[in-house]
Amino acid sequence: MHLRRRTGWMAAATVALLLAVLLSLAVGSREIPPSQVLDALLHGGTSQNAEVVRSLRVPRTVIGIMVGAALAVAGVVMQGVTRNPIAEPGILGVSQGASLGVVCAIAYAGVGTLSGYVWFAFAGAGAAAVAVYAVAARGRGGASPVKLALAGAAMNAFLTSIVSGVLTTDAQTLDTYRFWQVGSLSGRDTDIIAMIWPFLAVGLLLVLAMARGLDALALGEDIAKGLGQNVAVLRLTGALGATVLTGAAVAAAGPIAFVGLAVPHLARALVGTAHRWVLPMAALLGPVMILVSDVVGRIVFPPSEVPVAVMTALIGVPFLVALVRRRSVVAA
Amino acid sequence: MTATRTAAGAPERVRPAGYAVVRPGGRGSFLVHRRSLAVTCVLAVLLAAVCVAYLCVGESFVAPGEVVKVVFGQPSPDQLVVGELREPRLALGLLVGAAFGVSGALIQTVARNPLASPDVIGVTHGAGAVTVAAMTYGVTSYSALPYLSITGGLGAAALVYVFAWRRGLHAARFVLIGIGFSVALSSVTQLFLTKGDYLVAQQAKVWLTGSLNGRGYAEARPLANFVLLAVPCALWAARAQRTVSFDDDTATALGIRLGRIRFGLVALGVVLASVATGAAGPVDFVALLAPQIARRLTRTAQIPLLASALTGALVVVVADLLARKLFSPTELPVGVMTAAVGAPYLMWLIVRSRSRSGEPS
Repeated sequence: MHLRRRTGWMAAATVALLLAVLLSLAVGSREIPPSQVLDALLHGGTSQNAEVVRSLRVPRTVIGIMVGAALAVAGVVMQGVTRNPIAEPGILGVSQGASLGVVCAIAYAGVGTLSGYVWFAFAGAGAAAVAVYAVAARGRGGASPVKLALAGAAMNAFLTSIVSGVLTTDAQTLDTYRFWQVGSLSGRDTDIIAMIWPFLAVGLLLVLAMARGLDALALGEDIAKGLGQNVAVLRLTGALGATVLTGAAVAAAGPIAFVGLAVPHLARALVGTAHRWVLPMAALLGPVMILVSDVVGRIVFPPSEVPVAVMTALIGVPFLVALVRRRSVVAA
Repeated sequence: MTATRTAAGAPERVRPAGYAVVRPGGRGSFLVHRRSLAVTCVLAVLLAAVCVAYLCVGESFVAPGEVVKVVFGQPSPDQLVVGELREPRLALGLLVGAAFGVSGALIQTVARNPLASPDVIGVTHGAGAVTVAAMTYGVTSYSALPYLSITGGLGAAALVYVFAWRRGLHAARFVLIGIGFSVALSSVTQLFLTKGDYLVAQQAKVWLTGSLNGRGYAEARPLANFVLLAVPCALWAARAQRTVSFDDDTATALGIRLGRIRFGLVALGVVLASVATGAAGPVDFVALLAPQIARRLTRTAQIPLLASALTGALVVVVADLLARKLFSPTELPVGVMTAAVGAPYLMWLIVRSRSRSGEPS
């Protein structure tokens, strides 16, 4: 694919992201014209609109960008490492693992702050990822899409049942947890940004460093070895990066499915399969999907908001259907 | 349900291994799979014993003798606890378990794949989404819920079917799309959970895990009606099951309308799973577990329907017994127990799978 076309798409994605950011800042229960949004951001001001933009919408938008980038990049890596088009943190139960970690932190460890439970989220996400892959890779045929998806569904059900078990025995935790359980960007404050950006940075660096390795792995395990890649280290780094990214995203916004599935495929369709292009492209498009879903969720049923995870699920299903209906996926 | 009708007085020597000839009243005769018959009887006895234990155990222990008295309508001081509290709940558990067991058996037969259970293909999630939506909009009458959940279950199954259809129904595609819809529908359910007030959310949350807590005849009655209606269908299904095992070419050659039979079997399975979900919430994995356990016990190629129903009932009643007692005084929803056991079992099935499409033996 030509360099020019790729850079063209990257520029287009950047513009789309800027538009999505502007929408996210301007649209809501209070309509604020873009000119005033820019004014509030650039020149400050103490009007009510300026306050709303700075104290509510800016943090929400920033969290949306972070979560979107994290989930989309985690999706790319999981699809690359497992060589499986269906791999995604939400469907494979990795997000649910992070959720269980957070629930346990709230219910048993008495942890009430994000800085406390982000570690539990990592632990849960990592354990779930390893377990699902281990189950799916056993038996003949290795980790085929159906086996991975089924193992993920089983893991999801298992973890959900444990979460329900904890929540039914502990009404107080349920009340804290039920709003966060559905992935949502509302009511998240600035502290979360300060808390998760280092994790996000580490995760992204880990992942970007292995872009070439992922390209080699895409050719098959043997060829990757022949090209001098250490496949085991590659898989481990990938799993670690995806886990950190998913854990941070879930800790910040709760489980959000389908972003990690849809965005990587979209990115590959636009810039080809080279990971040094796909990864940044996904990092741009993931936030677009999250922010647009969030904005739509704010305006469909006013005055209440539809959580972003519901919107991404509704947008994501047609994607999955299209993907699965292409014969190659089923046969793989 | 493995009895095969043969010509009257079939000569002894063509009888297949493992079968016995039964001649009720001298007219006609049946072949009965001996092991299936024995297994079914043992399951029935075991189920009866577990039911008595279920009625004995609870916050207060009631002697088995008193339980038997109450069940047979004799005066007893324990009438209230056993007759009014535990018996209705047990009845519901039995019906729900049997319905899920048969449902799973039918759908797995058609798909020829133990992984295609109503839980996996979106039926229970569809039923759940519609029911929770109705609950948050103030529908609390338990007589309305079964109809709503059938609508949801059938709707979800139809959607998955339509989207998975492409020059035939490929099992792998069906499962993948089913899982996708399950995720989307459960997020819709979550949406309604956050919209409702706290009490509704708590109630819906418990319902969503599949629970018999505080349920009884009010939920069991509509379910019982459906199950009774389904009995003739199930008898038909038991015969039709055999034809389904033919491959498409053989069936066409024999003049069997395979497509219609398959559709009928799946529709029956979906309705049973949806109604059971409406009565007790999505009790996870029973529909997946029961038929496979039953088939392994009877060692038949086909999934036995009656044994699946008994196994399903047994699984639900035992799980509910454990859910009530294990963490007492807190009563866990029964769905937590069945999922905690069923999910690892599903993973074990995947680990053992033999083909690339994820189809276990």
